[in-house]
Amino acid sequence: MRKKLVAMLILAMTGTMFLGGCGSDGGSGSGGGDGKSGGKVKIRFASWDEAEDVDAQQAAVDKFNDAHDDIEVTLEAYGGEFDTKISAGMGSNDMPDVMYMWNYPAYSQGLEPLDTYIEKEGEDYKKNFYDTLWNYNSYDGSTYGIPIGFTTHALFYNKDIFAEAGIDEPTNDWTWEDVQAASKTITEKCEGKKGFSFQMKPDPYDYEMYLWSNGTAYVDAEGTLEGNLNSDKAKEVFQMFQDMEKEGSAVATEKSGTDEFRAGNTGMYVYGSWSINTLKEDGVNFGVVNIPSFGSQPSISILSSSGISMSKDSKNKEAAWEFIKFWTSEEMNKERIGMELPVLYSVVESEGIMEQPEYAPFYTMLEQSSDYTPSSFIYGSWSELSENLSLSFERVFNPSAMENVSDVLDEAAQQ
Amino acid sequence: MKQKRISRKAIPYLFILPWIIGFLVFTIGPLIFSLVMSFFDWPLAADPKFVGFGNYIEMFTSDKQFSKSLIISLKYAAIFVPLNMIIALFLAMLITQPVRGVKIFRTIFYIPTVISGVAVSILWGWILNGDYGVLNYLLSLLGIEGPKWLVDPAWAILAVIIASAFGVGSMMLIFYTDIKNIPIDVYEAATIDGANPARQFFSITLPIITPTILFNLITSIISSFQQVTLVMLLTGGGPLKSTYFYGLYTYNNAFKHHKLGYASANAWVMFLIILVLTALVFKSSSAWVFYESEAGGVAKKGKKSKRGGKR
Repeated sequence: MRKKLVAMLILAMTGTMFLGGCGSDGGSGSGGGDGKSGGKVKIRFASWDEAEDVDAQQAAVDKFNDAHDDIEVTLEAYGGEFDTKISAGMGSNDMPDVMYMWNYPAYSQGLEPLDTYIEKEGEDYKKNFYDTLWNYNSYDGSTYGIPIGFTTHALFYNKDIFAEAGIDEPTNDWTWEDVQAASKTITEKCEGKKGFSFQMKPDPYDYEMYLWSNGTAYVDAEGTLEGNLNSDKAKEVFQMFQDMEKEGSAVATEKSGTDEFRAGNTGMYVYGSWSINTLKEDGVNFGVVNIPSFGSQPSISILSSSGISMSKDSKNKEAAWEFIKFWTSEEMNKERIGMELPVLYSVVESEGIMEQPEYAPFYTMLEQSSDYTPSSFIYGSWSELSENLSLSFERVFNPSAMENVSDVLDEAAQQ
Repeated sequence: MKQKRISRKAIPYLFILPWIIGFLVFTIGPLIFSLVMSFFDWPLAADPKFVGFGNYIEMFTSDKQFSKSLIISLKYAAIFVPLNMIIALFLAMLITQPVRGVKIFRTIFYIPTVISGVAVSILWGWILNGDYGVLNYLLSLLGIEGPKWLVDPAWAILAVIIASAFGVGSMMLIFYTDIKNIPIDVYEAATIDGANPARQFFSITLPIITPTILFNLITSIISSFQQVTLVMLLTGGGPLKSTYFYGLYTYNNAFKHHKLGYASANAWVMFLIILVLTALVFKSSSAWVFYESEAGGVAKKGKKSKRGGKR
């Protein structure tokens, strides 16, 4: 009798366990029902941010929820696992309704084209965003994301080191020859310091900006590598960096180079606006100017942009769009200052961003870079090409390899 | 009457039911599904396309990285597995010594195991940094100029092995419990017979714990092939792809290149390799593993069994 009782209990427990599991899944998953409960439309919103940024986002989401009786947005912070989770979600038809997005070529098939939504908002809506940003939030002729933030790259320099070496600080019209000369002087005059640093294993996506600045690219409009990646102009770029490393005036860093710059070990490096907050906190006496040019044309920067997208399988697209509009509004652009560079002309003007010398170059670079589309948007299997390129670059810049630029690039173009 | 017998038979299964359901849903299900996937070209968002053995053929014919990564993983396993077992056994021997404060050391040695792989990677990233790392600083005190661990392809795999040996604690604990179970009188008898500690170790401890060695050998072979966290976070597969382990290769194929079918095929090939290796180890085990129940058999093969008394 007692045995029977125990058996029944276990059965009951097992049952509740699994039913319980399913129950909670059905409630939060978009797969369960029409996503409505208690008259409210539920929207799942996935973000890649972490820690304090998530708190700020949650506060903003709460604000939206308070203002809307009929919509309830839940924030899902995926953090560093963002890509894995979105990939898995897309594979299993369990995508959040709204999500942050940057890699449009990889995910466009799961996203809702937003052009008709944008048109409905009237012409001025689209015009208020910096034009370059739309290139980066579109793929194959359709717009898949509304810009949230961006960064271009710019040249950071340490004012104290330039004073110590007794040379003029960089200006917006510096060329790479100026950088080389200054690097040499700094390395010679400042004990234990290097004039310039660049990444030993640069992200190929970022690195293309130097090729653009010298009038070439990885691939042409048809996606052909041969004659582009290994063109003389491309080789020139790689050769210049390798030469600087070889002669010792520059150092190739394992990571972005921010650590070395913060520690005051390097005089200059090229990076995005990500490090501004850290550098300010550390009290580094730094300045920012445009990326140096190769002489013949203005320098071009890559854009690292983030947008907000809608899943094409979302069951509540109107509500999702409502939330996207809120998230990309002037109010939210102002809210995010300090975390993201604002993407709206009106906000940049009203907040006087262009008067702040550490931010202005990023906008100059943004406007200078409007006609360029990264190869990742053109070449079919970019992630594999990127992996091959990354290895090739490392072979050129890793101090234990330092292979011949021309040979490596010719080989890479054959793949 | 009959009903009662059925319920009696069913009750044990009822007890393990939660586990069985979990096993079917979360292990067997995905396992079979991944086998199916491995025969498809399975992109992320588009519809899967059946390709038969296409993925497997591609792997063995046109994908150069496959064999490269496989060799890297084999190399890693070949160095890491024995090294890890020797360290674990050594530490286990240390913490079985009757010394004051041995419990503290036991805890210290075990602590790294409970730290998450991510934290371990970050920690070792700092320790191994070529310019500012503490390891190279210590080496410089000895007058040695340390290599750039994570930049020089010749040293990077060793750097990964050192970092993974950090998590030796759980294996050490398994050895420890087994060594503790050896009856003390065996050692007493050996001491009376005049056997020194080294002799005692090789003639008593080692033969008795061979089943545990077998267990640790197999689990560490498997885990060394599955090593992903550390290389992903510590080296990112570099420098120059010198630590592009098979696990990372599979992971990247799935979640970076979005070739889910191909990655499933990668995983199944790894499964077969592990299966063969495990089978080989098991096959060889009859020659070197000593079970108490077959004490006679081992003695015949020439190994000295010093077990006395308790029989």
